[in-house]
Amino acid sequence: MLNLIKRDVILQKRQLLLFIPFILVFILLGAPPVLIFLVASIFIPFNTYAYDEKVETNILLNSLPYTRTEIIASRYLGAIVYMILSIGVTSLALLAFNKHFTVSDIAIGSGLFLLFAALTFPLFQIFKQGYITTVILISFILLTWISRPIALYMNEHLTTIIDFVDNTSVTVLYTGATFFIMLIYIISWGITHSIYQRKVF
Amino acid sequence: MENVVELKNVTKRFKGFSVNHINLQVKRGFVTGFIGANGAGKSTTIKTMMNLLRPDAGEVKLFGLDYKTHEKEIKQRIGFVYDGNIFFEGLNLKDIKRIVAPAYKRWDDTIFYQYVEQFELPLNKAIKTFSKGMQMKASLAIALSHQAELIIMDEPTAGLDPIFRRELLDLLQELMVDGNRTIFFSTHITTDLDRIADYIAFIQKGELVFNQSIHDVAENYALVKGELNLLDRDTEKAFVHVHRASTGFEALTDNIKAAKNIFGDTVIIERASLEDIMYYFKGGIHHA
Repeated sequence: MLNLIKRDVILQKRQLLLFIPFILVFILLGAPPVLIFLVASIFIPFNTYAYDEKVETNILLNSLPYTRTEIIASRYLGAIVYMILSIGVTSLALLAFNKHFTVSDIAIGSGLFLLFAALTFPLFQIFKQGYITTVILISFILLTWISRPIALYMNEHLTTIIDFVDNTSVTVLYTGATFFIMLIYIISWGITHSIYQRKVF
Repeated sequence: MENVVELKNVTKRFKGFSVNHINLQVKRGFVTGFIGANGAGKSTTIKTMMNLLRPDAGEVKLFGLDYKTHEKEIKQRIGFVYDGNIFFEGLNLKDIKRIVAPAYKRWDDTIFYQYVEQFELPLNKAIKTFSKGMQMKASLAIALSHQAELIIMDEPTAGLDPIFRRELLDLLQELMVDGNRTIFFSTHITTDLDRIADYIAFIQKGELVFNQSIHDVAENYALVKGELNLLDRDTEKAFVHVHRASTGFEALTDNIKAAKNIFGDTVIIERASLEDIMYYFKGGIHHA
């Protein structure tokens, strides 16, 4: 299974060269660290999916001595592995440019990434090939775009929620969010797994 | 253990197409050619063997093992070649090897590079720049480098020029010198099979018509040619299908003895080629 995760690096050698400049652009534009961590984490796993939505790739992987369970597991675990590596590289880049960031930036960035991955991975199994990457990219842009107004709206109207969040201790809030995201991630894994088991290639 | 592949009553239904109750055994140490018209169900059957699709009903066993519990063990022992390119097109052969090789316990780099040299394959050029023949050679080099006991090929000769087709068949023959190896390959170019197949499995409209040794096929099937007035409802029963022309009839029989008894010397009985057999079966089986 480790081989399946390593495969992404071989597959994306060229794209990886783009990875650093890609992050640098965000850094130089002065994007908030949370957003940079999120974008950096998305880079490798979603590139992999762009490859794996092809039928041929699935025929190859399923003809090799791997089980379908392993193929899906490698995607979910691989996403976490590459997220950690990307965050490491991004942190170094931020340090190199003397940009300030906090641990909570990393936590929120990775949390958002995992949530985004959990919500989109099953879609790759449902949507038709060729469309899904576009669908995801557009939904990602839309999400980042509408998240601000939503936050503002919540600020204005849902004071009770804000009060609750304010009153809850940081530890409880973070632990709660971690558990919530983990739960969603595991449910997503289960769904993708069961769809993939029944697929015909 | 005699049979490397065993399909028992395998049924798979799709919209507008199905394979029904396939019972197929592939014998160890032999080359089995899998023939049938386009759309007869060859690829579906092969995909069932590779566990790329699961049958609605029936049992699939390879090396006497079940995919449910032994998927990895089974696939460790199979080399596969498909009709189209299934490798990441943007990658070169070296990188593809880097992805595929670690999956196999018995991968052998020496053998791989031997084939790369023999097939004159470039290691650093993207697969998508390869010609159809080169892509086939690349798949083959990969399929043969992990000491597979069973080699499954879906239309390996389709789209190849005659010279490379013959080279491929020679190579397959060489591989069979190791008596433990089994080759199962589908084709609709039946002349490929006369050269190397030991067994012929024939599928038609999702149903397996026969799976016999090439010797038995030659003994069981024949073309019968004669005058139209010899045909009537009774005599036609000896035939799979009759083709009528103003000059006389030509028919395929699967019972040479009966045909001889009925017609004696009034007809000419000739050896039926695999192509003849496929052609006449396409007309449908008329007798009971």
